[in-house]
Amino acid sequence: MRIVERRIGDVTILQLIGRLELEDGDVVLRDAVNRLVASGRVKLILDMKEVTRLDSAGIGMLVSKYLTARRGGGVIKFLHPTERTDHLMDITKLTTVFEIFDNEEAAIKSFSTPVAGV
Amino acid sequence: MRDRHVAKPVPSRRILLVDDDRGLRHVLSELLQGAGHKVETAGDGPEALAMLGNGERFDLVLLDIGLPSMSGLDVLGLVRNLDNPPIVIVMTADDTSATLLEAVRRQAYRYLRKPFPPSSIVEVVREAATPFASLEVEVISAKPEWLELVAPCTLEMADRIQSFVMHLEANLPEAVREAVAQAFRELLTNAVEWGGKLDPNRKVRISCVRTKRLLLYRIADPGEGFDIDRLRHAAITNPDDDPMRHLTVREEQGLRPGGFGLAMTRSLVDDLIYNEARNEVLLIKYLDEGG
Repeated sequence: MRIVERRIGDVTILQLIGRLELEDGDVVLRDAVNRLVASGRVKLILDMKEVTRLDSAGIGMLVSKYLTARRGGGVIKFLHPTERTDHLMDITKLTTVFEIFDNEEAAIKSFSTPVAGV
Repeated sequence: MRDRHVAKPVPSRRILLVDDDRGLRHVLSELLQGAGHKVETAGDGPEALAMLGNGERFDLVLLDIGLPSMSGLDVLGLVRNLDNPPIVIVMTADDTSATLLEAVRRQAYRYLRKPFPPSSIVEVVREAATPFASLEVEVISAKPEWLELVAPCTLEMADRIQSFVMHLEANLPEAVREAVAQAFRELLTNAVEWGGKLDPNRKVRISCVRTKRLLLYRIADPGEGFDIDRLRHAAITNPDDDPMRHLTVREEQGLRPGGFGLAMTRSLVDDLIYNEARNEVLLIKYLDEGG
């Protein structure tokens, strides 16, 4: 997987491109989020539009990094999930926890509202 | 705003591209060279075999099946009989299951159905660069209605077998095919990772049975099975209002993030049946008649 990183103010958008699966993309995502959170950039958006394949390990990594950001005082929000990704988030009940957006501007603006504590 | 790219490097491979379509040879060569690979080309089977017989060492052969004068399947058989044979990825517009199954029998690494997006070739070549890519699959049965394989317990093999099996199911409605592919891969990954401990010396047995009204996959792993009541590290044991609880258990146990496989699979297929030890599983998807 390849990640393209953009920064808009204090919000960081990570565009994920390719497969997010066991030993294929999961480590790249982990390292990118860990680096950002360690440097204090904790308002993160994962743009999922170009995730071509996602498995349970990939879902697991999304949740794990969601928790990493929360523990760092921030949050990860999700943008443009494909129909398939949305379905997988739904059947794993993560749609009840994750904030998911179809519009980048709305996702960025949502950070101006306070984040609930862990 | 600032852009930053993060990507995993792809090792350079020495590739022989065999296709009688000059235009396709050119496009794929350019693409693969652009990805850092060294590419040579041949327009038919005899030319390819001569290059391989000249002592030139190739890591990978991209082989068209519909070649003039000599079938790509025959070339595949001869290539695989070489000492220290290269990995072979077959490419073909022939979408009959007989061709696919023969390619499986002759140890093709992967099967690409033409037309395919040119960029996908770079992805498949990347996948073939793994240390276990040259491991062989034992073919027990290669009938369209009953495919049965015995394979080493590696993640690469799980990808490879899933690719073959889903090519066999190419005529299914896309949604059904995607659901079955996802469920099959989750269970096969579980089998090689937890049952087979990712040990290439251990084997997983996979049967794929197709009737008019159902698809049935049986996966038997070499492990001892598991006790479902002790799966606190799996999402299936989470309360409805806490879909992340098992992640805490996994962190405590030093397990990688994950544990959603069974929960996902149960939602994607119609029946999921384990044997008593839980080291064999049946995955069933019912089809509309004629589906």
